[in-house]
Amino acid sequence: MTEALAQGTGRLHAEDVSFAYLGAATAALRHVDLDVAPGEVVLITGASGCGKSTLALALCGLIPSRVHGELRGRVTFGGRPLSGLKPYEAAQLVGMVFQNPNLQLINQTVVSEVAFGPENLALPQPEIAARVEWCLSVTGMAGMRRASVVTLSGGQKQRTAIAATLAMRPRVLVLDEPLSDLDPVGAQEVLGTLRRLAAEEGTGVVIIEHRVDEVAPWADRVVLMDGGRVVLDQPPRAAWADRGPWLATGVGMPDTVRLAHALPELFPTQLPLSVEEATAALRDTWFATALAAAAAERARREPAAVPAPAPGPPVLSWDGVSVTFDGKPAVDDVTLAVGEGEWVALIGANGSGKSTLTGLTVGLGTPSRGTVAFRGQPVRPGKVFDHAAQVALLLQAADDMLFETTVLKELEFGFRFRARPPQPVLDVPEAIEFFGFAGREQDSPWELSQGGRQRLALAALLVGAPGVLVLDEPTTGQDADHMRAFLRLLDRVRARTGITIVTVTHDIRGLASRSARVVLLGEGRVRRDGPTREVFARPEELARWGVLAPPLARLQQDLTGPTTDVLLDVEELAAAALAHRPGVLAP
Amino acid sequence: MIHSLFAQTVIAYLLIFAVPLVLPFAFIKLVGLGGLRTLVTYEARDTPLHNLDPRLKVLYPIGMGVLSILLTWKLMLIAFALTILPWFWLRPSRQKVRVLAVMVVGPGLAGFWGQGMYYLPPPPIHYLYKFPWTLAWLGSPGITTYGMVFGIEQTARVLVTVSTSMLILVSTDVSDFTWAFERFRAPPQVGFALTAALRFLPEMIARTNLVLRAVELRGYDMSRPKWYQFNRWPNYAKRLSRCVVLVTVPLLIGTLRGTTTMAMVADARGFGARKRRGSLRVHKTTAVDIWGYAILIALVVTALILNHLNVGARYYG
Repeated sequence: MTEALAQGTGRLHAEDVSFAYLGAATAALRHVDLDVAPGEVVLITGASGCGKSTLALALCGLIPSRVHGELRGRVTFGGRPLSGLKPYEAAQLVGMVFQNPNLQLINQTVVSEVAFGPENLALPQPEIAARVEWCLSVTGMAGMRRASVVTLSGGQKQRTAIAATLAMRPRVLVLDEPLSDLDPVGAQEVLGTLRRLAAEEGTGVVIIEHRVDEVAPWADRVVLMDGGRVVLDQPPRAAWADRGPWLATGVGMPDTVRLAHALPELFPTQLPLSVEEATAALRDTWFATALAAAAAERARREPAAVPAPAPGPPVLSWDGVSVTFDGKPAVDDVTLAVGEGEWVALIGANGSGKSTLTGLTVGLGTPSRGTVAFRGQPVRPGKVFDHAAQVALLLQAADDMLFETTVLKELEFGFRFRARPPQPVLDVPEAIEFFGFAGREQDSPWELSQGGRQRLALAALLVGAPGVLVLDEPTTGQDADHMRAFLRLLDRVRARTGITIVTVTHDIRGLASRSARVVLLGEGRVRRDGPTREVFARPEELARWGVLAPPLARLQQDLTGPTTDVLLDVEELAAAALAHRPGVLAP
Repeated sequence: MIHSLFAQTVIAYLLIFAVPLVLPFAFIKLVGLGGLRTLVTYEARDTPLHNLDPRLKVLYPIGMGVLSILLTWKLMLIAFALTILPWFWLRPSRQKVRVLAVMVVGPGLAGFWGQGMYYLPPPPIHYLYKFPWTLAWLGSPGITTYGMVFGIEQTARVLVTVSTSMLILVSTDVSDFTWAFERFRAPPQVGFALTAALRFLPEMIARTNLVLRAVELRGYDMSRPKWYQFNRWPNYAKRLSRCVVLVTVPLLIGTLRGTTTMAMVADARGFGARKRRGSLRVHKTTAVDIWGYAILIALVVTALILNHLNVGARYYG
């Protein structure tokens, strides 16, 4: 162990690694080769279930010591096999940060969490103190050393988990979807920390992540996995130069890369990996001029982009609503109305009051002031059973909403306690067909994939007769393919039923961009409410309230200066620019 | 009218059920699952109590527990009052005060009321309210003054330990407990078990709360009848008991997933790697610590002497 520890410049190497979980019919990893050099940042991405998390466990030596199954090949650090080491020995070479920070913070305060590992190693007190100070400093948590972990934000918790892992002094850090539960501000905090670690401390960083836009600009290599195999392992520009593997696996590419593929002549030398690179490449080109012209024309032609809601009272309304927790305002004097058939996205930083606001629509929580109403009728706090029939609320953790032993029983669940509605949004046979459960009615919900379980929870809500569908972070932790599938499903549900949809989301690029109207919340108040394309045309205002505008929106603003609205789809943006290219007649 | 058998029976039944009905109501309204979550959470502050020698903090509830066994009658009430004083020093959050008040006053009220009805001193008995035969056949002849006083004493006995334990939990980071246990030569597993329990109990309660919400959102009727809707209460109880079965699966699956991750994290952080652990903490004994030890020793010794001399001893009949 001492010898391995001494090899501070060693490389992490996976050599022909295959692994099958105990009792599993198929292998989770197949002949994986991977190499991570000191200070290198490797982004691993791939569709859900492709073996990314299993690879992370193997790289940290937790397979096979703590996760049992059949392992072939070997993972080494500095030539020393990790499989022969105890977990705490391997952790001093390769540290793992898990997805959910709540489950990996064992102690009550930040400082005791960071000190936990070195204390277990029985290091001398000065060494423990030095490690703790360094870890807190490098993760930017020094100012919160005495804070109780339950009071930390998501980003702070994740940084504390990173600090605690770093306290074991690993040479490589492996992070399994560290950004999935974080708002854009929290994500930037964590990414900033990792950037510093790689650049200044020479720590190798392996990030498993679906949010490629945010990691792409500073990754040294991109690894794409599919079916337990590494199908691509190249520097980012080379990795995204060919769209084939990405389209084949359904894994998302950064928006700037997609734009470059749509308009290759504008990026003759290299693919842009960030908004800044794209801006530099496009400034003073016909594209910038065309975008400005297109924006000016839209401003003349399109007064509003939000489809008018159906006449009549709003489906949901909040009138002067305030909610306080422990004397602190969580929602502060919010007045808002959602009309029949609208699709509205509530966005904002963690703690901005989004979930509190939507919870009130089914009676979860009590306003300290104001009223919440469904179709003009006040929502009574605590009467969840009554209001759940009107407002279908899908929680972020859809697994927590499944209680039955078969798919069919799950869909019938609600009718055991209330009468079947005469006009359901979908009846049970329709829902089985519509959501793709035909032939699986007698399967256990737990035999479905994660996406399948989410579809089942959604279907089970829609077999009632709700007037509105409220979705709390429905695309968190989903890969691009699953997210697109879910968005398509929502489109189909809307087309079929005309149901009103309210989403709470951090997914600015996907879910929020799909909705027609966006409500920006900041510190419990409505800060901006309008058509999605207009709200996203205000990157500075969004940033002030902890929201990062979508990359394409920032690109347009950087190129053209302030505009009244922005286009949020690559194809739409490319088409608009081509249509207004100098020398092309305006449509 | 008020002296009629019917009126006396009604009053007696109201008296006998008043406290058992008020307590759950007070718990649900003032504490609930959310409040329970904050009950054992550490509140990081910089008070002398927070900085006290962790070993003394471990010994303090034990010492006070000894006192609660040795002392009797008014001395017990004095000991209880002494355990309340440090709370003023600590100044916990309002939410915690509310939860603690219910958790302390509730059992206190229950003990006081129960002993008042069922503790029977030797005659002559002074009744605050004598139950008519329509209720007395249940075993309680009425509410006695002596029984209530006895109830106060017995309640104070329990609350001394509760108050001191809570005080220490609120003002001590669990890692300090671990440090103290190790100084007492206890195995590291003891400290880790306590750490895990105190850290994850609030998480577990929060998760239970979430799943209970989810089951309602799926259309399961958890609505509580009004207190006077007697015919609906049996059905409510039935629904509650069925709900336990329903929420068990998601709770169990979530908990198993969580504990697997936590075990891997503990392994990776080297828990159990060495027989003895190191410590970030360097505790220098301060004057406050010395005073603390002195007071605790003085209290225990005084209690032993008083007990030996039979001072404050009391014949319960």
